[in-house]
Amino acid sequence: MIKRLFVVLAALLLTLATASPAMAYEPVNVVHTERVQVGPYGLTVGFSTWPLRAMQSLDFTFAPDGGLDGKSGTYFRTGPSGSHTFPVPLARHPRKRDVWGLDVFALQTQGNWKLTFAIDGSQGHGEGTLANLQVLEQPGPPLTLSWIVCSLPFLGLVAFLVIAWRRSRNLVQVA
Amino acid sequence: MRPIGAGFVLLGTGISLVGTSWDVQWHIDVGPDTFFTLPHLFIYAGSAIAGIAALVVVLAVTAAQRRGETPDPRDGGVPIRVFGGAFTAPLGYLVTGLGAAAFLLYGLTDLWWHTVYGFDAVLNSPPHVALFTNISITMIGAVIIAAAARDQLWGRIAMAISVPALMTFFPITANAFQGLNLPFDTIVAATVLIVVLLLVVTRVAIGRPGAALATAAALLAMQGILWVFTPWATSAYADSVGLPMRDGMGGEPSLIPSGIPLAALLAAVAIELLLRRGPLLSGAIAGLVLGFTFVLQRSWLGYGPHATPLLLLTTTIAGALFGWLGAYLGSRFGAMVRVGEKVTA
Repeated sequence: MIKRLFVVLAALLLTLATASPAMAYEPVNVVHTERVQVGPYGLTVGFSTWPLRAMQSLDFTFAPDGGLDGKSGTYFRTGPSGSHTFPVPLARHPRKRDVWGLDVFALQTQGNWKLTFAIDGSQGHGEGTLANLQVLEQPGPPLTLSWIVCSLPFLGLVAFLVIAWRRSRNLVQVA
Repeated sequence: MRPIGAGFVLLGTGISLVGTSWDVQWHIDVGPDTFFTLPHLFIYAGSAIAGIAALVVVLAVTAAQRRGETPDPRDGGVPIRVFGGAFTAPLGYLVTGLGAAAFLLYGLTDLWWHTVYGFDAVLNSPPHVALFTNISITMIGAVIIAAAARDQLWGRIAMAISVPALMTFFPITANAFQGLNLPFDTIVAATVLIVVLLLVVTRVAIGRPGAALATAAALLAMQGILWVFTPWATSAYADSVGLPMRDGMGGEPSLIPSGIPLAALLAAVAIELLLRRGPLLSGAIAGLVLGFTFVLQRSWLGYGPHATPLLLLTTTIAGALFGWLGAYLGSRFGAMVRVGEKVTA
């Protein structure tokens, strides 16, 4: 009987290994835009969700007027506390290759954010900032509650190790 | 029969490990996510295979006991009575089964999380940390199963596979501590703790000189396999579904194999040479070596903070302390998995 069960298991494995998963990548659906003047370049910043909420991910698109041809740039984020990231190159959005962007990306904290852009192109170098980007409170239950629920497996593991440790105390000393 | 059960558990945990490395790199290099990606299928299938194998063995052992046979602790560890004796579960298979079941359960919390927060592919969301913990628990079961059969060749081979898998996987959960502002690199400290602990567990459990060194060599081999497979699978899968690589990505070393300390062999040498003088000293020295080198490795490969002299100093000291703790716990856990032998003798 046991061998039959393992045959079933092997068959299941083979089915899984040869299955071709359904591929369906969501298109980027911009529901809100903001305009930023980056030196001589006009830039449209698009959001796939609006308003923004802390920890909730969305697609950002950065579309310079006239397309990406001959342009390159960097951007950095400034959080509500005033600390900011290092400038990173603007990269094309993986699901919308005609514009720059960030795919399923979340701003982690509530408050006022800034996105600062630098673009180089045929009209030279330009810099500009999208200021006052309001990020509302995070959705869902309090983060502490989520962490407590998701720490249960780890706490279970610790409890198991403590029990095993205590039960084996005398035996290990004998050994 | 027993090597077959253990083999399926190892296969499942191996598939989970490969799938995780592939999935992480997919998000870094390519991006788009749905539930139905091939790397996700690997991760979930891995837990399913390990969990079903554990269940089958538990049912088989229970049936054997009802026929009047006495369970052999070498078959998966000390037998545990579950549900008032309704089932008899060898400890290793019980742990593997519970880890796999919890993984599938927390898969539901992850699904809920993504509906509330979106498909942001991060390592440190609460459900992701829970999922990584549950796979680690499944892998701990695999180590217990392997250690129980250490007097047989297949058991020692299973140790050389299951221990490096756990060494690679468990430190991923330390991403939960990313938000804490500690003066040392928490990922390095957690990796040192786990690597030293498991090297000492293996050396003590198998009880033969060279066991820790062989495990570190197997870890290096596993790192090599993931180093080659992960970028290949990521770009091959992107090609097959017609997706491009992200701008400027695809040439960098992969994240999961980059998170395996290259100096684990040196740490194993320290443990092999110094264990007789005292496991704690051996662990502290191994931790010191790992702490210092792993900060540099992470910075060099571009996955850790810049290795400033201060960070190097604090994390090396933390490495020695966590190595000491790892050896303290590892020498006891190593002796614990030998207890079954003493009890039955």
